[in-house]
Amino acid sequence: MPALRSYRLLVTWQAMRKKAYLPLMAAVQTLFTIGIVLGYPLLFPTIDQTAIYLIATGAPAVSMISVGLVALPQTVGEQRMEGSLAYMRSLPVPRLAYLLADLTVWLAIVIPGVILGVVVGAWRFGLDLQVSPLVVPAVLMVALTSTCVGYALASILPYMLTVIVTQAIVVFVFMFSPLTFLPNKLPAWLETVHRLLPIQAMGEVTRGTIAPTQFPLPPGAFLTLAAWCVFGFAVTYVAMTRRT
Amino acid sequence: MLLEIEKLTKVYRTGVRANDGLDLSIDAGEVFGLLGHNGAGKTTLVNQVVGLLKPTSGSIHIDGHDMVARPGVARRLCSFQTQAQVPIDGLSPRQAIGLIGQLRGASKADVARRRERLIDALEIGEWLDVDAARLSGGVKRLVAFAMAAVAPGRLVMLDEPTNDVDPVRRRLLWGAVRRLADEGAAVLLVTHNVIEAERSVGRLAILDRGRVIAEGSPARLKANLGTELRLELVLDPRVTDTPASPFGRGVVSAGNRLMVGVPTDAAGAAVAWAESLERAGVAEEFTLGPVTLEDVYVAMVGGVSVRPAENEETFDASAA
Repeated sequence: MPALRSYRLLVTWQAMRKKAYLPLMAAVQTLFTIGIVLGYPLLFPTIDQTAIYLIATGAPAVSMISVGLVALPQTVGEQRMEGSLAYMRSLPVPRLAYLLADLTVWLAIVIPGVILGVVVGAWRFGLDLQVSPLVVPAVLMVALTSTCVGYALASILPYMLTVIVTQAIVVFVFMFSPLTFLPNKLPAWLETVHRLLPIQAMGEVTRGTIAPTQFPLPPGAFLTLAAWCVFGFAVTYVAMTRRT
Repeated sequence: MLLEIEKLTKVYRTGVRANDGLDLSIDAGEVFGLLGHNGAGKTTLVNQVVGLLKPTSGSIHIDGHDMVARPGVARRLCSFQTQAQVPIDGLSPRQAIGLIGQLRGASKADVARRRERLIDALEIGEWLDVDAARLSGGVKRLVAFAMAAVAPGRLVMLDEPTNDVDPVRRRLLWGAVRRLADEGAAVLLVTHNVIEAERSVGRLAILDRGRVIAEGSPARLKANLGTELRLELVLDPRVTDTPASPFGRGVVSAGNRLMVGVPTDAAGAAVAWAESLERAGVAEEFTLGPVTLEDVYVAMVGGVSVRPAENEETFDASAA
């Protein structure tokens, strides 16, 4: 399978290119997730059990989104600037293999934090999580969707605009997205906006599979994510194969 | 012909006409040079061949395959060393060359064998396992060449391959380029280093403002200039009136340097004239040698003032 061989070689290429920073990036991402789990509850003088559950199960989604929609677009933008993306495009390699290889390396950076964040949250607050096996497709879907949308951003926007937009995304995801709180806390109009965006669905599938006894898993959430994933992938694919 | 380009035109959205009706053909086993100023349209041309840019009009065929319609085939048939340095920090030359060779479809064993030959030929073995982040620009450039040559396509395109490379390894690099052609690849060499191109290419085209303004072997292009020798005079900077050439050939001045075309049978007279200018304090020194491709290039592309030759009668040999 030439495509599979390309994928394997590209993962090796990307991992080796980042090898000096990979462990550090994974460590920082882990601290970031644990930091949310342990730090957010300090903001409140008293905090109920539901809020604790929301924070502990929402932190992994925040972590994945921050990589997919912030760190990744900035890195891809840099690669575009320095010409390495154009070089890779000149190789006889399927575009899909290139995207999946990048995704694999980013997953390796984010997954340790997702797992450790949940473990630390459960231990610190004595949570009974009963993690569902659906957590695997849920985490993969959240990572894939945020990566695809992030890639699409970096593919169509000029580098400086990518940096600015991703900064805005940070604020939006941290402060105004129903990941560590429920959507009904938001103003009605923002609640509506979030029904269209993928961020709320990312939170729903993450918490609905990590703590299925506490939170329902809305069946539409996976569909919303799938739609955004396909959209992000299509935009990226067109941007990568397009010859201007 | 392996590569055939016909009436290739590329107009960017900004309105810049980077290629303007280019016709070029290169055969297997040939090293073909593409010369031109910065902005002459060289990189635009190679980016279209490898499928990174889409031509506005015209056609590109490699081995009969339509490269404009099937850019995927172009990427298989062409290997490419880009003008910009490919970032390979984190990888050693061994890893970078090996992975790219395999990504180009060659087997691990073939890649290892060819990599070893290239590393020996370019004499970069001492850096084989050093992280590229610690390599000099010149060694990185040689590694980038090896990445393009380790599993070469039918067409190998090298965009300024000698930039930053030391003079000794430049020669080794040219040897490796020649071997690529001897093994059957067509090599398209993009450069603005005219002197090196003269020694390395079989045929070349000079590109100016997106058009081919001359094409042929270096010898033929030099013959077209209509002179066999060039007298280069370094004038005293205080001299304001450029001395008139007595040889009826083109005169090119660049700063306080004056290049004068001289027919072979007037070599003695040219030396005598130059010596007289030295004695008169007009010239500080002079050299007489064969015309170079650079003379042809400068005469055609310009960038310095080119004045018409003076009448032969103005040369007074007795004054020498």
